Amino acid sequence: MRQPARATLGILGVAAVGALLFDMLLLSQGLVISMRNLLEQSGFDIRVTATDSLPQGGPMIDNASSAARAIAALPSVSAALTIRFASARIERAGKTPVRSSLQGVGLSDTRPWTILRGNDLQRGRELLINENAARMLDVTPGASVTVRASCSGDSEALPPVEFRVAGVAAFPFDTPDAATAATSAASLGEACGGQEPDAADVIMVAAKDDPVIAAGDISQLRPDLRAFTNDESVGRLEQGGFTYFRQISTVLTTVTVSFALLLITVLLTVSVNQRLGEIAALRALGFTRMRVVSDVLAESILIVGIGGALSLPLGVALAAGLDRILKRMPQIPENLHFFVFEPQALGVHITLLALTAFVAALYPMRIVARLPIAATLRDEVIS
Amino acid sequence: MIIEATNVSRVFSMPAGPVTAVRDITLSIAPGEHLAIKGPSGCGKSTLLHMLGCVDTPSSGTLLFDGRDVSTLRDRARSLLRLNQIGFVFQRFFLLPMLTAAENIELPQSEAGVNKDVRHARTRELLDYVGLGARADHRPSQLSGGEMQRVAIARALANRPRLLLADEPTGELDQTTGEQIASLLDRVNADGTALVIVTHDPGLADRCRRILTMKDGRIESETHPVGRALPASPKPSGEGGSGPPGASR
Repeated sequence: MRQPARATLGILGVAAVGALLFDMLLLSQGLVISMRNLLEQSGFDIRVTATDSLPQGGPMIDNASSAARAIAALPSVSAALTIRFASARIERAGKTPVRSSLQGVGLSDTRPWTILRGNDLQRGRELLINENAARMLDVTPGASVTVRASCSGDSEALPPVEFRVAGVAAFPFDTPDAATAATSAASLGEACGGQEPDAADVIMVAAKDDPVIAAGDISQLRPDLRAFTNDESVGRLEQGGFTYFRQISTVLTTVTVSFALLLITVLLTVSVNQRLGEIAALRALGFTRMRVVSDVLAESILIVGIGGALSLPLGVALAAGLDRILKRMPQIPENLHFFVFEPQALGVHITLLALTAFVAALYPMRIVARLPIAATLRDEVIS
Repeated sequence: MIIEATNVSRVFSMPAGPVTAVRDITLSIAPGEHLAIKGPSGCGKSTLLHMLGCVDTPSSGTLLFDGRDVSTLRDRARSLLRLNQIGFVFQRFFLLPMLTAAENIELPQSEAGVNKDVRHARTRELLDYVGLGARADHRPSQLSGGEMQRVAIARALANRPRLLLADEPTGELDQTTGEQIASLLDRVNADGTALVIVTHDPGLADRCRRILTMKDGRIESETHPVGRALPASPKPSGEGGSGPPGASR
C-alpha cells in the first residue's frame, strides 16, 4: 500500500459513511416491517372497525358479539374476537393505584396476547395484567385487585369492581412503561356500569387462508363495517406518521452517498495526481490506457469494498443505539423497532456502495485516461 | 532498420502560440545501434526520444517502427509495441514504491502475459545481470539511486526489447554511480539491444558509437567517434557475468 495512513483514513471514512447509509436504509422500511410483524404477531390478519378511523379513534361497533359470530361463520374466516378499549385505575391495598388501559375481549380461542405466568381468562371476573402492572401492584396470579373503569371518556364515577388476577401476559402493543390489563367483554361491561354492553372498538379476525379474500367476504357480509388486512393497516400508517421517517431516511441517504462520493473522489484524485509520473512511466513501458484506468477503478472498489464491509457491523451497532434513543419517544410500543434488518436493505446498500465506487472513480479515471505521456514525463523531470 | 524517421517535426500548441520542439529531423536507428542525442536544455532531444519511443507522435513527417507508420497505430497498438519492442529508462527511475525490486521487474512481463515461472526466472536472471541478485526483495526506498536505476534498466529489459531508450539515465546520480550505470548500458548494447541515450553529459555521450547534437529542434551535427573501443564493462557487484538477457528476441 502506497500511503497506508491515507488509505486507512479513507477506508474508515467509507466505513463511517457506509454505516450511516446502512442505518438510513434500515430506517426507511424499519417501522413498516416492525409494525407488520407486530400486527402479525397478534395472530389476527384483519381488523374490522365501524369507520375508516383507527381503533379507538372512531365510533364503536354496536352488537359486536353477533357481528363477530357472523364473521366467524364465514368460510374464509377461522376466528373473530371483539375488543373494547377502556381505561382503568387498578387498586390494591397498601399500593399506589395504577392507571392502566383495559381491554375487554369477546369469546374466542384465539387471543392477542401471550401468557407469561398463571392462566388465561376463563370465567368470572378475571383479569390479565402485564409485567409493569404486576410489578407496580406487586401482585401474582391469584391475587385480588379493585378496578375503577372509565369507559366513555367523559368524567365518570363508576363503582369499583373486584377482579381476580388470572395471569400475567405480554401484550404486543405495550409501551415500555404502560400498565395494561385485559378481561372478558362481559366483565368489562360490568366494570363500565352496563354502558353499551355489546359494543366493541374493533373485531380482530383470523383468516383461514388469504386475508384479502376474507376481508372481501366481511365487507360483503357487513358493508356498514370496514375491514382492513394487516397490509392495508400498515399502508394507512405508512401514509401517516411513518412517512416522516422515510423522508428523513431518503434525505440522509442522499447526503451520506454524496459525502461518500466526494470523499472517495478526493482521495483517488489526490492519489492519482501524486503519481502522474509513475502512471506516465507505466504507459511508456507499454501499459494500455485501459489497464491504468482499471487500476484506478480497482483502487476505488478496494477502498469502498473494505470500508463497506466494515460499515455493516458498525451500522448494526449504531442502529441498536439509535433504536434505543428513538424508542424513548412516548407511546412507542416496546416491540416496535425503527431499524429493522431485511435482505433487501443489504442489497440496496451494496448496490449504492458499488455505484458510489464507480461514480467516484470516474473523474480520476478520466485524468488517467487523458494523461499525455510525453508531457507528463517532461513535467515530472522539470518539477 | 528498427526506426526510420523522415522529416519529423513536433509542434506544441501553447497559449502564447505554437512552439516547434523538433524540426524536420530525418533519422534511422539500426538494430544494435549505440546512439547518443545531446544538446542544451530545451533543444528538443527528449521530445525526439518520446517520438522514437512511440509515446508521442510527430506533428508532421513519418516515423516508421519496423516499417509500420506509428501515426496510424491506435493507442492500444502503440502500447503493445512499446511493451514488446521498446524499453524505457527514465532520469527519475519511476519504480513503483510499494513493489519490491523483483516485482517491479515482473510488472511489464505480467502485463505482456508471460507465465509466472518464466517471469520469475527472467526476473532472477535480470537481477543478476544488473548486479542486484541479493536485493530482489528490497523496495525502492531501501535502494540507493544507482541501485534503483539498475532495477529500472532491468525492468526496461524485461520483455527483451529491440530498442532501449534512456532519458538522462545518469541525471540524478553522482559521478561514480553514473559511470557504473553508463557501463551497464554499454553492456546492454554490447549484448545486442539498440540503445538511444538522451544526455547532457558529454562523457556519457562519448561512449556511444554515434552522437547526434541537437540545437533549436534540429540535428546540428552527427559524429562517429573514430577508433573508440567499447568501454570495458565492469561487472556490477554480485553479478555473475551471466549471458545476454538484454538481447532482443
